[in-house]
Amino acid sequence: MNRKKALVAGVSAATLALTLAACGGGDDDKSSKDKFNETLQSGGKNPDAVGPAPQPEGAQTGGEITILAPDPDDGPTSLDPAGLWSVTDNAIAQDLLFRSLTTWQQNPETGEYTLVPDLATDLGTPNEDFTEWTFTLKDGIKWETGDPVTAEEVKFGMERSFDAETFATGPGAAYSKPYFEGGDTYNGPYAKGAEDFPAISVDGNTLTLKMSTPFAEMDYYGIFPAMGPVPLDAPAADYGLKPLSTGPYKIEKYVPNQELVLVPNDQWDPATDPARNQFPDKYTFEFGGDNAVADKTALSDSGSTTISTAMLSNDYTKAIEDGLQDQVLVGPQPCTSFVMPNYDKVKELEVRQALAFAYAYEDIWSAGGYLPGVTRANGVTDPELGFGLLPPGMAGRIPWNPEIDGETIQYDPEHAKELLAKAGYEPGEYEVSFVYDATSQEGKDAAKQRELGYEESGFSVKAYPYTAGSLYDVWTDPDNALYKKINLLGTAWCQDWPSAATFVPPILETGQPYNTGNFSEESIDAEMDRIRTLPVDEQADAWGALENKVMTEFQPVINAGFYQGTYAIGSDIGGFANDTTVGGAPDYRTIFVK
Amino acid sequence: MTLPAADLAVHGESSSAPPTEAARKSIAGRSPTRIAFDRLRKDPIAVICFVIVLFFAAIAIFAPWVQSLFGVSTDTVLASTRIDLVTRLPKIGPPNHGFTMDHPFGVAPGSGTDNLAVWIEGCRTSLFLATVATVLSTFIGVTLGLVAGFVGGAVDAVISFFTDLFLSFPFLLGALAVAPIISERYGTDIDKLRVVSFYSLVFILVIFGWMGVARLVRGEVLSLREREFVKAARVIGVPTSRILVREILPNLLAPIVVSVSLSLPGYVAAEAGLSYLGIGVFGRESWGQTVNGATSYWEIYPLFLLEPVIGIAVLVVALNLLGDAIRDAFDPKTRR
Repeated sequence: MNRKKALVAGVSAATLALTLAACGGGDDDKSSKDKFNETLQSGGKNPDAVGPAPQPEGAQTGGEITILAPDPDDGPTSLDPAGLWSVTDNAIAQDLLFRSLTTWQQNPETGEYTLVPDLATDLGTPNEDFTEWTFTLKDGIKWETGDPVTAEEVKFGMERSFDAETFATGPGAAYSKPYFEGGDTYNGPYAKGAEDFPAISVDGNTLTLKMSTPFAEMDYYGIFPAMGPVPLDAPAADYGLKPLSTGPYKIEKYVPNQELVLVPNDQWDPATDPARNQFPDKYTFEFGGDNAVADKTALSDSGSTTISTAMLSNDYTKAIEDGLQDQVLVGPQPCTSFVMPNYDKVKELEVRQALAFAYAYEDIWSAGGYLPGVTRANGVTDPELGFGLLPPGMAGRIPWNPEIDGETIQYDPEHAKELLAKAGYEPGEYEVSFVYDATSQEGKDAAKQRELGYEESGFSVKAYPYTAGSLYDVWTDPDNALYKKINLLGTAWCQDWPSAATFVPPILETGQPYNTGNFSEESIDAEMDRIRTLPVDEQADAWGALENKVMTEFQPVINAGFYQGTYAIGSDIGGFANDTTVGGAPDYRTIFVK
Repeated sequence: MTLPAADLAVHGESSSAPPTEAARKSIAGRSPTRIAFDRLRKDPIAVICFVIVLFFAAIAIFAPWVQSLFGVSTDTVLASTRIDLVTRLPKIGPPNHGFTMDHPFGVAPGSGTDNLAVWIEGCRTSLFLATVATVLSTFIGVTLGLVAGFVGGAVDAVISFFTDLFLSFPFLLGALAVAPIISERYGTDIDKLRVVSFYSLVFILVIFGWMGVARLVRGEVLSLREREFVKAARVIGVPTSRILVREILPNLLAPIVVSVSLSLPGYVAAEAGLSYLGIGVFGRESWGQTVNGATSYWEIYPLFLLEPVIGIAVLVVALNLLGDAIRDAFDPKTRR
C-alpha cells in the first residue's frame, strides 16, 4: 500500500512529542525505541479459529463513536470492494463492512494479529507448488438484505478485481493479474466480450483458484475486500457508492470523501466471524476536516467518544503538557520512507553510499515536523533498527546496519566526502537535485536542512519546489519536466500484509511503478523470481537475505525513516488499538464505548 | 495678528486686523500642498505614524546591515544545533529559556532558523512589494484616468468598461488561478522562479489594483477640463499631452497622494494574506508565510506567531492612519 496522502502532506500526519509521549497509550511504559522494535509480532496463522471473536476486557455494546480523519486524509472516494487499497479505507472496509476469504484477528491481551479464516472455513488448501488454492465457504453468511452469500458471488467479486481500468486504485493489478492463470489477459466481467474466467471455478461451496505463477501468499491476499463477494447484478461504476455489507455494520449514509455513517447489520452472525465485533450502535466517520479542530474535539469533554486519527504535532505536545497521556497513542505504521537516487543517473555505488551519510536524518525530521525517534526513526535513533527496506517486525527481516568503509551510517559529512573522493569527485563537483513539497513551511524547512546536509557533504545541490500537487506526480512521470531535472527521487511504502513479498519487489523490481529510482539489476530480478518459487517457510528468510544483499552491494535506496502515527482518543473509548496489519489505523474490531 | 480681546468689544467688527504686508505675502506664497504639509506636521498622529513607517522603511532598506548589527542571519543551520530534538522546541531563548542577545526574537521551532533575521527579511519583502505594486498601479491608474477623462467619447467608454470589468473580477480567484501556472511554467529554474514569483505577485496586485485610482482621476479630470485655465490653454493651442501633464496633473496631486498612502497598507496586508494562502512569493522570507507556519504553535510557542502578526499589524495601522491624516490635510473642508 502506498502512503501517498501521508507523505505529501507530511506535516499534517506528523507528530511532535515529548519523551514522555512515547509511552502514550497508558497501558505500557515502553520507550519509543522498544515500541519500534515490537512493532509487528504479527503474521501468524490460525486456520482453526472460529467465531465469535475474542472480546477485549470490559467490552460492552451501545453508544456512538465518531472517527475524525482530518486533512489531508479525504477518505474513500468509492467503497467498491475491488478498488480499496489504502490504509484508512481498508481499515474501515475490512473491519466493519466487507467480509473476505480471510482476515486478521486481534488478540486483545497481547495485541498480536493472527491470520484467520473469514468467509472460508480455513485458510485455504494450496497444492504442492502453490499454483492451485481451494477455499470452502462457510454456510449461513448473509448479505445485509438477508440473502445468503453464494460462492458465485465471491467468484464474481474476485473477477471484478481483474478490471484494472475501472478499479485503478485497487490491488488487482498488483496481485490478481500477475498471479492468476490467464489474469494478464482477463479484464474482468465488465470488459467487452468477457467470458467465464476459468482460473476461478466454483463447485457447490468450494472455490478453486488456479495460478500461473506460484502464489504462496494467497491466504494473505484473501484479507482484501477485493477477495470477497459482490452481488451478481452490481454495476461497474456506481456500486462503490452503495455497496451491500456482509460485516457487522452496514452503510446508513455515505458522502464520498466527506462522511460515512454505519449502523449495525442485523444479518451479521457473530458465530461465523472469528475476528469482528459489533459494539457501538453507530459509527460516524468524517474525512478531511480541520486537524486542530479534530484534535481538540477528541480531547474535550464533548468529544469523549471521538477519535482523531492523525494528531498535529503541537496538539500532541500540548496534550502531554496537560497530562492527557492516556488519551494519546503513538502507534507504529509498517511503512518506510525512501530517498531513491535515479539508478541511471547516479551510477556509482560510492556516491549512493555518500548520499546515505549526507542525509541529515534527525535535522530533516525535526524541521519537517516529525519527532526523531518517535514518529520517524531508523538506525540513527536506534542502531538495532538499521537502514534497510523492511520496516521493523517483518518476518525474515535482518536489520541492515553495515559499516561502510569503517563507519556506520549516520549524518557524517566528512565520511560522505571521503566516499565521494573515492568515486573520483572533488567537493562541489557532483550535483544532486531533488524536488520538495513547497506548499507548507515544514516542507520548505525540511528541504533546506536536506540541502545543507548535502552541501556540507561536498555535493552541489539544486532543490526544486513543487506546489502543484503530490510529489508522486513528478516521481512517477518520466515526461514531467522536473523529473528530467532531478536525480534524487523518493517513495514511502507500506506493507500490504506482514510479508516482505509486499515490500521488496515493489521497491526493487525492474519496472515497478513505485520503484521511482528505476533500480534494475538482472541478477536481483532473477533472485526475486527464484524466491517466489521457494517453499513458503523459506521465503521470509530469503527475502530478508536478498534485501541485505541488495543494500550492501547496490545501496539503491536511502532509508529516510520508519513511520509511526498518533491518535487522540476520547476519554470514554475502550479497546483502542493500532492496527498494524492494515498499515496503521484504528482497529475498529475491538473499539467500544465505556 | 489679533487684537487684544479687550479691543474687540470696542471695534465690534472684524475678528482680525488686515494682515500686514509680510503676512499677506507668506499666505499668498503657500501652495495647497504646502498648506497640507503644514497641517500634517501639526497632527501628532500623523507624525507618530510617519516615524513608525520610517522605522520599518529603514529596517527594510538597511536589512543586511541591521542583521549583521544583531549578528543574525537567515542562513540554514543544522536544526539539531539549536533545536531540542525531543520536543522540537528551541534549546535557546523562548519559550522555555531566557532571552538571549544571540537571537533576540528567538529561533523557529523545528528548523532553528533565527526569527529576527526572518522578520527583518519579511519586512523588506512586504514593503518592497507594496511599494512596487503601489507605484505601478498608481502610474497605470493615473494615466488611464487622465486619458479617459480628458479625451472622452469612445476612449472613455472603452477604458471605463475595462475599469468596471476588472473591478467585477474576483481578486482572490485570479491570484489562485495564476500562481500555479507560474510555478508550473518556471518550476524547473529556481533562480528565475524566485524573481518571477515576486513579480507575478506584483502583477496580480497591480492588475487588480489600478481601477480605484483610474476612476478617481477620471472624475477629477472631467470637472477640471471644463475649467477656464484648461480652456484657455486649448484656445492658445497647447498640445493635449502638455495640457494633461502641466495643467491638469498638478491639480490632481492631492487625490493621488491620498490614494497612494491608502493603497500601501492594502498591499502589505494583501501580500501577507496571499502568502498565508500559499500563493505568495517564493524564495524570500515573508510575514504571511511565517504566520502560516506558526499558527499551530500558538499554544506552545506564542511568540513565534506574535512577531510577524505584530509586525503586520503595526505597519498596516501606521500606514492607514498616516493615509487618513494625509487625506484630512489635503481636504480643505475638514477641520481638526
